[in-house]
Amino acid sequence: MRTILSVLFTSILAAGANPAFAQGNPIKIGAILPLTGSGASYGVWMKGGAEMAAEEINAGGGIAGRKLEVIYEDHAADASKAVNAMRRLVEVEKVPFSLTSYSAPTLAVQPIAVQNKVVLMNGGGQSDNLANKEYLYNNIPVVSNEVGVIAEWLAKEKKLTTAVMIVANDEAGRNAAKTFQEKYGAAGGKVLADEQVALDGTDFRAQLAKLKARGGSLLYISSYGRNVAIIADQARELGITIPMAGTSWILVPEVMKSKGAEGILTTRLPFDGDSAFAKKFKDKYKTDAGFFAVQYYNATQIFAKAAAEAMKKSGGALSGEGVKNAIESVRTFDTISGKLVFQANHGAVMDIEVGTLKGGKVEVEKIIKASP
Amino acid sequence: MDLFLQLAATGLVVGSLYALCALGWGLIYGTTLHFHVAHGAIFTLAAYFAYAGQKLLGLPLAVAVIGAIAAAAACGLLIDLFIYQPLERRGAIRTTLFIASLGLLNVVENLVAIVFKPDPLRMDVGWLSNAVQIGPVFLTWLHLVSVATALAGYLGLMAFLKYSLWGRAIRAVSSSPEMARTVGIDLRRVHLLTYAVGSAISAPAGILVAMDVGADPYRGTTFVLLASVAVIMGGIGSIPGALLGALFLAMLENLGVWKIASEWQSTISFGVFLVFIVVRPRGFFGRKIHSAEI
Repeated sequence: MRTILSVLFTSILAAGANPAFAQGNPIKIGAILPLTGSGASYGVWMKGGAEMAAEEINAGGGIAGRKLEVIYEDHAADASKAVNAMRRLVEVEKVPFSLTSYSAPTLAVQPIAVQNKVVLMNGGGQSDNLANKEYLYNNIPVVSNEVGVIAEWLAKEKKLTTAVMIVANDEAGRNAAKTFQEKYGAAGGKVLADEQVALDGTDFRAQLAKLKARGGSLLYISSYGRNVAIIADQARELGITIPMAGTSWILVPEVMKSKGAEGILTTRLPFDGDSAFAKKFKDKYKTDAGFFAVQYYNATQIFAKAAAEAMKKSGGALSGEGVKNAIESVRTFDTISGKLVFQANHGAVMDIEVGTLKGGKVEVEKIIKASP
Repeated sequence: MDLFLQLAATGLVVGSLYALCALGWGLIYGTTLHFHVAHGAIFTLAAYFAYAGQKLLGLPLAVAVIGAIAAAAACGLLIDLFIYQPLERRGAIRTTLFIASLGLLNVVENLVAIVFKPDPLRMDVGWLSNAVQIGPVFLTWLHLVSVATALAGYLGLMAFLKYSLWGRAIRAVSSSPEMARTVGIDLRRVHLLTYAVGSAISAPAGILVAMDVGADPYRGTTFVLLASVAVIMGGIGSIPGALLGALFLAMLENLGVWKIASEWQSTISFGVFLVFIVVRPRGFFGRKIHSAEI
């Protein structure tokens, strides 16, 4: 027993004595991510991105001399799990900041963030309802920007003017579907029918058969994650031959590898698969990096900059409120995907690309430049 | 009309899978009167055995499937041998067995989720996933295999119960355990056999679903629930009833989608089940169930 204790003490002392982190405790932040469930592929990217950022920050001496520690929590696309995770982060870990993901989980934890003055940064959820929320910043554009681009492109340039929709029955899926219906209608298209499906479902044949019977020149998939690969495969199985379309949400490995999704029309947010970041990610995690890896890398770096700024102002103390004020006053952050400017609605704008999924890659046809 | 045919065909495929599950569950319930919800665990285990056989051991698909069925049958037998029989020897009432069964289902599902992660695992099925067009109806080869398996399972089980000595023993115990004991039938051995046969018949359902949409640790619960509904609808103790109940349930779910929004699918089936149990508790062909039997 005594040896164990002494070993423990020595190691604690040794950790404390690390010269790089001379001052005080590590800075703990949360990350509430889809580590399991239909969106687990996003989780790999998000966690990997945040992890790489934290390692780089710590290798460079931490934030104002303090080590950064990220505490990962799983929401499995479930808002109530996200709330539990958030409570733990706030009450036990006392974090001033948390990364969040997905629309419903982020919206569910935002009131807790306001109550406890914890800054949230969402790099993945895109529901329009995420805009203009106190203590919540999105380093990603809301979905209406992307949906607007694809709706117009499909109706005006691809001349696909009648659509049937399959919609994931959650905040993100429904919100995107509603926006699609509006923007597609404004561009001269018409949605003939829609069917809602469970995000964690695995059999969508009955719904697809019903949509097939309605005809239309396009199947719009307002869903995300692994779900989309199953929808695409089962649609082709049922002899649905019309083009399918979606937004950057669908670009996960399962979909890109699926037979059924070949030829799907989609938007994409700018991501360079040959960048130094992407190469480093692949070396470290043995899997290709994706857009969301960069997003969470950037979000973590943005926090580090804002926290350093806040600590400079307050003379060393770090609070959620300080981080929030720092984000508001700095506004423009340099990231590995270029300059990011937080808009008045707490969101970001980005270029949006449109193209076709071919052989596991998006062949970009057109880039719509960001207009803040 | 095309939509009707497509939904009916999908209903037949889904019904075949429900039927395999219901035949096994119904055989066990009809013979032992155990409300064996852990049958869902057998369904799940069969899927993961097949997955592990193909993906981890690198066995050919057919070998992995046959191995998984045998392993699932052994698990069913072991559940009776090591859980239900000791409980019964100690005079446990049926509710105790039911709670034990429920606990077992939960433990197995979560263990599977810990070992294999909760995300569905897809198997390689090769050409079986190719689409087949029959008139206006689109299915995959795997779907046709599912229907054929259910038919073979049903006919095989009927023949086994009718013509084999052991099958007749099961029927004897099912119709009157006391009488069967009087004529010298060993109830415990018949129960073990029933669990093995019932599990072997339902195992292909778990495997076929895993081959179609991936193995999922928690799907067994849904299937065993639907299987029990199908058996009660069809009539306890009736094998044709279990088949008919399962097909009826699946058709209802799928054809219901024709006119009603699809998110109401399970509401339809459980709604009709409620009507059934109130209006015609003996089901299509069976004897009347009493609350004491559950």
